Amino acid sequence: MRTKLDACLQMVNGVLLGKEHQVRLAMTCLLARGHLLIEDLPGMGKTTLSHALAKALGLSFQRIQFTSDLLPGDILGTSVFDKDSGQFAFHPGPIFAELVLADEINRATPKSQSALLEAMEEGQVTIEGATRPLPDPFFVIATQNPVTQGGTFALPESQLDRFLMRLSLGYPAKGAEKALLLGEARRDLLPRLEPVFDHAELAKLQELVPQVRASDALVDYVLRLVEATRSQPQFAWGLSPRASLALLAAARAWAFLADREYVIPEDVQAVLPAVVGHRLRERADPSGHGGGALVRWLLTEVAAV
Amino acid sequence: MSTRRSSVAQPIPRVALTWLLIAQALVMVPHLFHLPAWTIALWLVCALWRIQIYRMRAGYPNALAKVVLMAGAAAGVWFSRGSLIGLDAGSVLLISAFVLKLVETRSRRDALVLVFLGFFVVVTGYLFDDSMLLALFTLLSVSALLASLIGLQQSAFAERPWPTLRLAGGMLAQALPLMLLLFVFFPRLGPLWSLPQPAGGAVTGLSDNIEPGDIAELSQSGELAFRASFDGPMPPRSQLYWRALTLERFDGRRWSQSSVAQYPIEPQWQKRGEALRYNVIMQPSSRPWLFALDTGETSLERTRLMSDFRLERYRPVDKSLFYQVTSWPDAVREPEDSPLLQRRALQLPEQGEPRARAWAADLKRRYADPQALVQALLQHFNREPYVYTLKPPPTGVDGIDAFLFDTRRGFCAHYAGAMTFVLRAAGIPARVVAGYQGGEVNPAGNYISVHQFDAHAWVEYWLPERGWVSVDPTFQVAPTRIEQGLEEAVAGERSFLQGSLFSALRYRSIGWMNQLRLSWDNLNYGWQRWVLAYQGEEQANLLQRWFGAFDTRLLLIALVGGGGLILSGVALGLLKPWRRERDPQQRVFLGFERLLARHGLRRARGEGPRAFAERAATALPQQAESIRAFLRVYEAQRYAGRPGAVGELRQALTGLRRRLPWRFTRSTR
Repeated sequence: MRTKLDACLQMVNGVLLGKEHQVRLAMTCLLARGHLLIEDLPGMGKTTLSHALAKALGLSFQRIQFTSDLLPGDILGTSVFDKDSGQFAFHPGPIFAELVLADEINRATPKSQSALLEAMEEGQVTIEGATRPLPDPFFVIATQNPVTQGGTFALPESQLDRFLMRLSLGYPAKGAEKALLLGEARRDLLPRLEPVFDHAELAKLQELVPQVRASDALVDYVLRLVEATRSQPQFAWGLSPRASLALLAAARAWAFLADREYVIPEDVQAVLPAVVGHRLRERADPSGHGGGALVRWLLTEVAAV
Repeated sequence: MSTRRSSVAQPIPRVALTWLLIAQALVMVPHLFHLPAWTIALWLVCALWRIQIYRMRAGYPNALAKVVLMAGAAAGVWFSRGSLIGLDAGSVLLISAFVLKLVETRSRRDALVLVFLGFFVVVTGYLFDDSMLLALFTLLSVSALLASLIGLQQSAFAERPWPTLRLAGGMLAQALPLMLLLFVFFPRLGPLWSLPQPAGGAVTGLSDNIEPGDIAELSQSGELAFRASFDGPMPPRSQLYWRALTLERFDGRRWSQSSVAQYPIEPQWQKRGEALRYNVIMQPSSRPWLFALDTGETSLERTRLMSDFRLERYRPVDKSLFYQVTSWPDAVREPEDSPLLQRRALQLPEQGEPRARAWAADLKRRYADPQALVQALLQHFNREPYVYTLKPPPTGVDGIDAFLFDTRRGFCAHYAGAMTFVLRAAGIPARVVAGYQGGEVNPAGNYISVHQFDAHAWVEYWLPERGWVSVDPTFQVAPTRIEQGLEEAVAGERSFLQGSLFSALRYRSIGWMNQLRLSWDNLNYGWQRWVLAYQGEEQANLLQRWFGAFDTRLLLIALVGGGGLILSGVALGLLKPWRRERDPQQRVFLGFERLLARHGLRRARGEGPRAFAERAATALPQQAESIRAFLRVYEAQRYAGRPGAVGELRQALTGLRRRLPWRFTRSTR
């Protein structure tokens, strides 16, 4: 199982070059049953990452391009009248896939956004009175472009909270980019990827993650972190209990990936920027992009031991 | 075991070695004046050798070389000092050891030994000299020693000499308040044992027997004899006759102290008239007598007034001494006759000086009243062409005859000796008094400095009922000597301090130079009066003034108690027991942090234990295994929830501590 996990990471790294940390975080997010928000410029490999993950984990993949005229039905699916049977037949939308890439999520109207976000939270959708379960595992990778904000609908804080992590891929290192330019086209590589896990194995992994031990001392550290966001003046607001749960879950998954059956403060620190960055705002700039400086403060100033 | 030793033996950093060499040079400088020349040569050789070792051009001495060097140094001490023990020889031996240690200084530990030896050598300097200059200089050498200590301990300063020196200076400055406190309050304990003092014979000054030429020789010396300051107005200098001792035995050539004068006989005297109060700081004289105006009493312990009215201490004065005196110039001394007095004060050799004896008999015939006889004698000196000179012509046998009737040129000792001889020959009890006359008033400090060239001899004769009366024949010949001092008295013959070209006293006529000299002298006087003299009675007086009742035992208790309080305050501040971690695992981890902090590795607040340990393992690759071992145990207990005794964790820490070289201070890196 362990070697498979490593092989899986290696496979994704082979496609998305030079982004080991982000790949590992994405994997962590998946193992912790969380959803991922990738915030980056177009062309940085967001889709490639999602696609490669889906392939390597043997998940069915769907991509939804969010636009301003996208309707909830376009995501969830609609019932269409079938002339032959004289009945309404349900046509499932793209959401009924195991890994859904919601591209440029902030381009859609809040109505459509909330349709996706409800599905993410509940793991099921209710259409025309019928509740339909979503596949298991269900993993959403949403992307948004942080630069061009014209004609977009920024996700409100409450909805950002639903994402376990927010990542930014960033430009590749020089060497990685050279390898990328010299190598094969990524899209040609993708179809050739063989799934490493089947569904049962993935489910098993996801079950194992919560069993990673978080000791009293470690939980105290998480509490110190959360407490600091609630008591220090530079934070516009503190982290919610959902955030502290998310932090602990992510740290567990990170430790699991590192082949350790207990969490250490470094695990928490490794996932902290991704897990809490999008949930924090500076008091001086409550509508801002938030995060970075506050997370750095948390990392250096909150006693780790 | 061997691996451990090799990890402990650390080389000496370059800066520390440089500082060590500088410090050693500075420590040696005050000793240069009394060290035999070979020690200095040895030092130069050793310093060169050590530098060559550092440059890898030479090796450390092997066992044989060490034995040879040590035996050679011991032999050198033996040959130059005649002994291996005693203060003088001991200090030379100590300094040779200090010098030789440099060559075999291989590890930090050796360098520490060298530095501590250096501190000891600095202190021994005060056995030879307690002047202010040396005290100031000590600051310099102690700073250098501290700097080398810092260079040895603090790798952060390893390449930066100026911050090292600044830190050393800062530490000295921080020690100042404590130094002042100890200076004021610490009881001056008497010596637990005493050593023969160094260089006893070399001190110039009055001796207990004089030939007429001796005082003339003494007057070539510009050395300080003592300083005195009066509580009230200073008497005119013509009345300042500082008595040291009386010379009662005459053997035809020399006047010397009578053996009877050593007997502890209480002199008879009555206080009359006004008293003079003053205090005296005398320089070491290696003689037991003190200097005072007639007739003085002192409160100094173990000092008494002897039968010839000199003040004598129980042992020779071999370091500068402060004492207070009350004198009654008009006192009546020994008014009652006694056979002993007659025998002591009329002693003359059986024969010799026939002309003087004949003249005395003639005088006695002419003047029945002793008082009239003395006056006639003085007038004789006044009227006849006697000359006061520092260069009297040599006289053979019957020196007094030759002086009185032929040469008529002499110094105070000639006049005093001749007059005493004539008085005795005429049947009037008389004796020569040796001491100092006058002195130099320092207007800035309102005190008077008396130098060796102020040495003087005068006459005392005895009258029934009136007791001893002082008279100075020199005054009749050269009143300027008494009223203005020696320099003016011998101005004509340019013989004043002829031998000491470099004595500042010679250049008193140059205004600014004299001003400078007086100010410097005043500074030194202040040092002696307020720093060196602050002991015994002075200290007791001051403390009594501050605290009323004064009790040495109480003071000791207060000192120990106060010191304990300060120490426990410092300990509290350092250990902060209220911040003591209650979790035993955490406490051990704090110990781990403290240990690494001494090696310049501090955990940042937000740094996790593993990240910190990895950083430490990179910085200390030799101890990486122990650091990781500790971390494994810590994580297992702390985060993996594996049950384990705290002892195991503590053991891991001890293991690491053993592998790390010992450090006391925290590094600032």
